[in-house]
Amino acid sequence: MKDRSAVVLANERVADGVMKMTLKFDDLPQIEGGQFVHVRVPDGAHVLRRPFCICDFDKEERTIDICYAVVGAGTARLAEVRRMERLDALLPLGNGYVPEGGKVLLIGGGMGSAVLPAIVTAHPDKEYTVCLGFGDASKVVLVEELEKKGAKVILATDNGSAGEKGYVTDVAARIIRADRPDEIFCCGPEIIYKILAKKEEIAGIPTKISLEQRMGCGIGACLVCNCKVKRAGGEEYVRVCKDGPVFDIGEVAL
Amino acid sequence: MNTAVEIAGVRFKNPIITASGTFGFGAEYGEFYPLSALGGICTKGLTINPKQGNPPPRATEVYGGMLNAVGLQNPGVEHFLATDDKRLADEDVVVIANVAGATLEDYIAIGERINDAHAQMVELNISCPNVKQGGMAFGVLPSSVEKVTAAVVKVCKKPVITKLSPNVANIADNARAAEAGGAAAVSLINTLSGMAVNWKTRRPILANNNGGMSGPCVKPVALKMVWDCFNAIQIPVIGLGGITSYTDVLEFMICGARAVQVGTANFTSPTAAYDIARDLAEYVKQNDIDINDLVGSLILNG
Repeated sequence: MKDRSAVVLANERVADGVMKMTLKFDDLPQIEGGQFVHVRVPDGAHVLRRPFCICDFDKEERTIDICYAVVGAGTARLAEVRRMERLDALLPLGNGYVPEGGKVLLIGGGMGSAVLPAIVTAHPDKEYTVCLGFGDASKVVLVEELEKKGAKVILATDNGSAGEKGYVTDVAARIIRADRPDEIFCCGPEIIYKILAKKEEIAGIPTKISLEQRMGCGIGACLVCNCKVKRAGGEEYVRVCKDGPVFDIGEVAL
Repeated sequence: MNTAVEIAGVRFKNPIITASGTFGFGAEYGEFYPLSALGGICTKGLTINPKQGNPPPRATEVYGGMLNAVGLQNPGVEHFLATDDKRLADEDVVVIANVAGATLEDYIAIGERINDAHAQMVELNISCPNVKQGGMAFGVLPSSVEKVTAAVVKVCKKPVITKLSPNVANIADNARAAEAGGAAAVSLINTLSGMAVNWKTRRPILANNNGGMSGPCVKPVALKMVWDCFNAIQIPVIGLGGITSYTDVLEFMICGARAVQVGTANFTSPTAAYDIARDLAEYVKQNDIDINDLVGSLILNG
């Protein structure tokens, strides 16, 4: 394991409050969808790295993309980083998600959608249907990228300003009823997991979700990012960064 | 030239020790560099029984530092003795077992149990601000610092380091109390009690409401307290609080620290402690000094 120095090839606004950054590495290790990169904010004020899911990657070019919402001082600083600047980045971290079935349903809620392209890139031999949900048209990202990879994309927005009007969980439930997938992967805010967990449509279909938590070390040592899961004998805290971030929807205490 | 230091008869090849709670039991960081590059490592705080810790969020960044309230989650001392302690026995690095408790009986029990460990030293966590009765109660009054130190020293065959809280009236009094209780050394500072607030929700960011502040923002406080304690006691002082570079180490040693601990910096860079030890060795070599000569060499302004 090593810390890598990456060159920033691009860092651009792609939607309202959302940036996409491309990082190039001297050597890029093998990456699975659902894994994340821990990026050092390039100043002394920010002592904690920022964990971002690896949105997409290119083995040959040795690049990764990250998509991030500018929500605080750290991401605001990262949004100022210019082309050709260098950033320290630890990757790939976390367990990731490897689809096993042939027919896979991917569900993305808001910025959670940013984890989905890398899954398709890592395992292009599957049949992917992707349900993406955003608040409104100004927040929509990644539709074209996923379509280019051959995935069937269904877009929904809360107010109907892009795609169909409605919640992504309702759209996903409809898709499952019409064409039952072999497995489901969902990434989004916790409320989506709570709603999805109650949908009877997912019964019997292996369903994975990706958790997010404020992190310290990112490598499993500090126990800062822990979340509660159901294990034999009750509930216990496990590390989102090392034991996750991908868990079975049934084992997470939502 | 010499980078080695000695504390209570235990030799550290260099004065760089990783701070408890930031380094687990070394396994994760051991994938980045050989632990033998360090003088020592302090384990995650251990308790007699496994502990679940606090609900998340357990940490947040603050300007130049962070707040944490992990709440001493750990697998318990028996698990440590059966696994990590054995693994660490093969490493050429001093292992310090950090121990905590809720009652005096807890401290005595774990102080006794740790006698079977390979770990060469014990650090008493009597200053965790994040757990109800997580030792903090013992860390405030000098009388209780002395009492809990003496109780553990009595049963524990290993040198005992008492870790001091900065959230007290006069930390030098607590250092004297630890010395009176038989501590082989003191380490300071543990985290400063603090709070981060979300003005939109009007709620504290940490689920625990309060947390312990660490990182570069606490360094001036730590340096002053190390100097105060150095002048108050005869036993060695281990300094910590916001160290991110070898020059920070020099500052702490000049203020009286015999050794130092690196904590939050491990999060900023996983190789921080390794880099600091390497840079310090280079400084010692370039200047052909014995690092022990720096300890307490501060020259106060008239």
